[in-house]
Amino acid sequence: MVASPDTQFKPVLGTKKGKELFLSSQHLEELLKGVLDKGACFRFQGKGLSMSPFIKDGDILTIAPLPTASPGLGDVVVFTHPNTGKLIIHRVIKKGGGSYLTKGDNVPEGDGLISRAAIVGRVIKVERNGKHISLGLGPERFLIASLTRRGLLFLLRPVWRLVRFFYKGSVR
Amino acid sequence: MKAKINLDATYVQSEDLVSREIEGELIIVPLVAGMGDMEDELFTLNETGRAVWAKLDGKKSLKTVAKELSAEFEAPPGEIERDVTGLAEELLKRKMIVKASKK
Repeated sequence: MVASPDTQFKPVLGTKKGKELFLSSQHLEELLKGVLDKGACFRFQGKGLSMSPFIKDGDILTIAPLPTASPGLGDVVVFTHPNTGKLIIHRVIKKGGGSYLTKGDNVPEGDGLISRAAIVGRVIKVERNGKHISLGLGPERFLIASLTRRGLLFLLRPVWRLVRFFYKGSVR
Repeated sequence: MKAKINLDATYVQSEDLVSREIEGELIIVPLVAGMGDMEDELFTLNETGRAVWAKLDGKKSLKTVAKELSAEFEAPPGEIERDVTGLAEELLKRKMIVKASKK
């Protein structure tokens, strides 16, 4: 009779790349919170199109713990949605009374009011194809938040195209 | 190069990592230069590795850890001691555990 591998004592330390892990929103949140709670940043690959064009599917995001101060207007924050329990990365478009109105830059509807306690961190860096993408996280975030709140973010499209033209030498 | 392990010494999990049990596997994210990087190398421990890991609390010597595991897994003490030492060497080399005692 062969002993079951489960009962054999053979401790193994394995290695993995984050890409090989298929983490649920809940598990990703556990790791994210664990890292942020230690005051460290968390770097991982984001999924989804709701923050396009500033954050695209597959971009590498760096999340920093929030300082004691509240998240600011235009900040891109990570929070657990109170209704779905899912981990979401969207922009703060309005704040007041200890709550935050958040919305994806590329979705028509806001997320509703999010409490400070639900917000776990803030996006401080976006990388795409090995390049640092700063547009959307600098001072322009106030304008983006303001236009998003009024449903006028499309007005930035010509500007966005120009920026792409000068940076990439092509217009799409 | 192998890290030098002392069976009479106590070792404790490093504070510069985050570990979580996810779907039956222990995932360990090292914190390097203030960053937990999912795009970098992560570590996993199998079931028996987790049993060793859980006992590295800075209080028990590796010899005691091996003795306890030998009883729990009903395996020869010498064999268990060898495996515990091997794992501890790997963990120490990767700075996932640190020596807690002065021995």
